[in-house]
Amino acid sequence: MSTTIQSPETPLAWNIAVDDAPVALSARGDLVAVAGAEGSVRVLDAASGATVGAVDLPGGALSVHLAPDAGALAVTGPMGYALWRRSDGRRTSKLTSAWSASAAWADGQRLAVASGRRALVLDADGEELWRTEPAASTVTDLAWMRQGRRLAVAAYGAVRCHERHTEKPVATYPYVGSHLALAVAPTGKWICSGNQDASIHIWRARDASELTMSGYPEKVSRLAFDDSGFWLAADGAPDVTVWDFSGKGPAGTAPRSLRRHETVTALAWRPGAAGHLASGGDDGTVALWHATSGRPRQLLRPVRELAGGGAPVAALAWAGPHLLTVAWRDGRIRTYGAPSRTTV
Amino acid sequence: MTTPETSEPHDERVPVTVLTGFLGSGKTTLLNRILTENHGMKIAVIENEFGEVGIDDALVLDAEEEIFEMNNGCICCTVRGDLIRILGALMRRREKFDHILIETTGLADPAPVAQTFFMDDEIASQLRLDAIVTLVDAAHVLQHLDEVKPEGVENEAVEQIAFADRIVLNKTDLAAAATLAEVEARVRSINAPVQILRAQHARVDLQQVLDVGAFDLERVLADDPAFLTETEHQHDTTVTSVGIELTGELDEDRLNAWLGNLLRTKGVDIFRSKGILAIAGAPQQYVFQGVHMLLDGEFGRQWREGEPRSNKLVFIGRNLDRAALERGFADCLATAGAVA
Repeated sequence: MSTTIQSPETPLAWNIAVDDAPVALSARGDLVAVAGAEGSVRVLDAASGATVGAVDLPGGALSVHLAPDAGALAVTGPMGYALWRRSDGRRTSKLTSAWSASAAWADGQRLAVASGRRALVLDADGEELWRTEPAASTVTDLAWMRQGRRLAVAAYGAVRCHERHTEKPVATYPYVGSHLALAVAPTGKWICSGNQDASIHIWRARDASELTMSGYPEKVSRLAFDDSGFWLAADGAPDVTVWDFSGKGPAGTAPRSLRRHETVTALAWRPGAAGHLASGGDDGTVALWHATSGRPRQLLRPVRELAGGGAPVAALAWAGPHLLTVAWRDGRIRTYGAPSRTTV
Repeated sequence: MTTPETSEPHDERVPVTVLTGFLGSGKTTLLNRILTENHGMKIAVIENEFGEVGIDDALVLDAEEEIFEMNNGCICCTVRGDLIRILGALMRRREKFDHILIETTGLADPAPVAQTFFMDDEIASQLRLDAIVTLVDAAHVLQHLDEVKPEGVENEAVEQIAFADRIVLNKTDLAAAATLAEVEARVRSINAPVQILRAQHARVDLQQVLDVGAFDLERVLADDPAFLTETEHQHDTTVTSVGIELTGELDEDRLNAWLGNLLRTKGVDIFRSKGILAIAGAPQQYVFQGVHMLLDGEFGRQWREGEPRSNKLVFIGRNLDRAALERGFADCLATAGAVA
């Protein structure tokens, strides 16, 4: 059992405000990036909040992704995408008029960008290496598998996996429905989609055997595996649900339920395998959890809450295990210190 | 559920107008008229048909229609993925829009558009569907309505009229008086309660198309003088309206069972439904409106002193069996006794 400890206060490392309503955060290495709905991106030093770089994407932003080595950044939006390079501050924007829902870095050298109904794979300078054939509808999410050799692409009706040598998918995981979010277990064993029909659909990557977790009160638009690949957190309900994917997977099991928010608007696992999760709600609350403690079906309470309130939480990101950045819709960006690896 | 109308909080959600109509019916002209009129509103436009619209102070977004079915195969769960995506992104902007317009293609099915506003909680919490406005080209619509489609294929012109809350009968200067009368009669035979606005060059009173409140239960039927207009079925149309007016109070359980079963079994064919009902024992009117199987209902205003308890409801749909509907509804009367 966990109990809520309100004190000592989680130390605030820094605190800034941006004009453009934040929609996404990304944190890698020593950097954190915040993207606003109108398309302005600020790259900040994670420890101090000082501005390191900036890039604008005309037409607005939907997602932002720092490269794993923090050497570059991609921002995607309704009108296209843009890249930023740290070494010389070079900015490249590609206004394709196609909806770019998301992007995913394979490593510091390659990234995939959703572009309308296709995924494009680019080098770090933005040069196209290869592209997928069009999916049935606009691509909603992307994830790399097999150490960056295979790309999973979610769109209406299926998750399709692509490799470099062919435009056509090398594996297709069909499911009638609109896939809003995609999560691939770091173990490579599981592919999961969060769906408009208020369900999570799960495929075992090896044989495409399927499982559906239905009965969520709302659409499932946020899914995240922790670093171990044993735990999946999802929204779709007032409670964050946490499913156990260890062993044979979650078939026939019940999730843990984390109760704090009315509507979940952000989820972020702390780096590491300790099962620490941060969640944010539309009432502005931010909660920290020992999300894997207790038993299945158990209702958990937060270990800690951060001072929040007001506008909805727009995004959460861990800049390493010791810094948690929170962005609220009203433009507040705060980073909190979490000194110990074992306690939150 | 039983909140008196006086304490009803003001709906802060942003109204959304859906403009449908065949290519050439004047959607873009109406859109331009709305955008250039000096109304002081900040408007966002989502276009499925690539138009020439480009006006300062308006955000115009192009999108390709994406119809999403759900795994359960239920028609009412069909939604428009493109709209969910774009409306979701619009709502995250700091600048606020006073009104959103969606211009569909001439071939669009209005049902998934309407259902999107009821099926997606995120959208329903921040936006409200104000009305479906269908533009009709007075000179050419009869030809579209008469077009014979292959088995199982919908006549989109018929559907767009059936779903409409307002019909803008446009280009009246290009059609003879007799044609106009025939078109109106034809429109009414499909959608009896709809309000028809005659126009030339899409010149209509914008209040009549932008502030309709067609899905607002407080206003359902309030401004529909033609709600129960009987129409002569001079045309052999499969899409019609059935309006029923019945005096007396209804048994709530029997009503729920009948309406629930009706929409479950015939919901695919019932495009729109609305009603004001007198429930036995309830001091307030029960008001509902529906799109296919999705039904939204609540208690409305108090019955007035001495006001006769009567029920009005209308169904617009395909292959409606008037006699069966009248019989089924009459069986819901509290005085109907223990009818199986």
